[in-house]
Amino acid sequence: MGSEIWLGLLSGIAFGFVIQRVGASNADKMARAHLMMESDIPKFMLMAVILSAVGLLGLEAAGVANTRVLPTSLVATGVAGILFGIGWGFCGYCPGTTWAAVGEGRLDAVFALIGGLAGAAFFAHLHEFFIPLLYDPFNVGQITLADWTGSRPAAVVLLVFIFGLCIGAIHFLWKGKNGGQTP
Amino acid sequence: MDKKNNSPLYWPWLPAAFALAGIIVFIFATFGPPASSSGFVSLIKGAVQTVAPGYVENNPHYATMPDTGSWLFAFVLGMAIGGFAAGRTGRIQVRDIPEIWEKRFGNSRIKRFAATFAGGFIILFASRLAGGCTLGLFISGSTQLAVSGLYFGVLIFAVAMVTAHLVYGNTGKEE
Repeated sequence: MGSEIWLGLLSGIAFGFVIQRVGASNADKMARAHLMMESDIPKFMLMAVILSAVGLLGLEAAGVANTRVLPTSLVATGVAGILFGIGWGFCGYCPGTTWAAVGEGRLDAVFALIGGLAGAAFFAHLHEFFIPLLYDPFNVGQITLADWTGSRPAAVVLLVFIFGLCIGAIHFLWKGKNGGQTP
Repeated sequence: MDKKNNSPLYWPWLPAAFALAGIIVFIFATFGPPASSSGFVSLIKGAVQTVAPGYVENNPHYATMPDTGSWLFAFVLGMAIGGFAAGRTGRIQVRDIPEIWEKRFGNSRIKRFAATFAGGFIILFASRLAGGCTLGLFISGSTQLAVSGLYFGVLIFAVAMVTAHLVYGNTGKEE
């Protein structure tokens, strides 16, 4: 147990450091990203996924990958995605950036953290009501792109292509007039 | 084309993406898919456990999650430490109210804090319904080619963009 905690702490410190430096823990920059005024954060996120997917393929080839694919529930994942988008667009924080922003000393993130704890507790309390209602009946299983492409490398190529197109589209469609910079 | 946006205040997105991906791959090798909304559950589980252990034991949501003595909680705690270290050694201004929010809604701290409390409540409620958040479901899932992560990702970006447009209107665009 000891080494697991140190690994988690070390990974978290590195992760929090990078997302602070790229500006993801700045709710102003995040709001400008959502308003198509600053493109660094969405390009950063999509590129990180591309590179991680390629890296994970390497880990799998080496036999050292620990994977756990979450199932797709058409209704629960969909409703959650819509609610999450409302909350994210409204306050500019997502769960991970909240922790980094709290560490930075942003007081509004402290309230996002407290609200998040309340939201998690609220869901946990009603887990037995929501999961059989919204999740289980529409659960189509742990499907991945590889189920359609036939092989994992082919699916990674497809993912890289789609995400690459998205990065290109964001690059050209987002205005970035003032770059979302904090003066 | 975007070079002028990369003020030295912030790391440019491409090298930062390499750094983050390196960390994510390290996590997949040493732990499993990284997640951050789970850390909220671990913290609240640990807290509730001390006052109502029976409630936690019988709750199916807490049953699936480790408490504070876990990788998941150490990770989010680490994120706060990393954010602190990066903030203290960098030049990015720390504000309690984002500029764009202040322009749109004024400088009331109560209003902003109430908004982030509500936003935090919604994103964590939603994350627990889906089983993950931006990191645990979208980034981790898409890295593993999971349809759940891609589906969630499309929705959160699209809805957040619409929401931000409704919330801010043209604020910030005039300059």
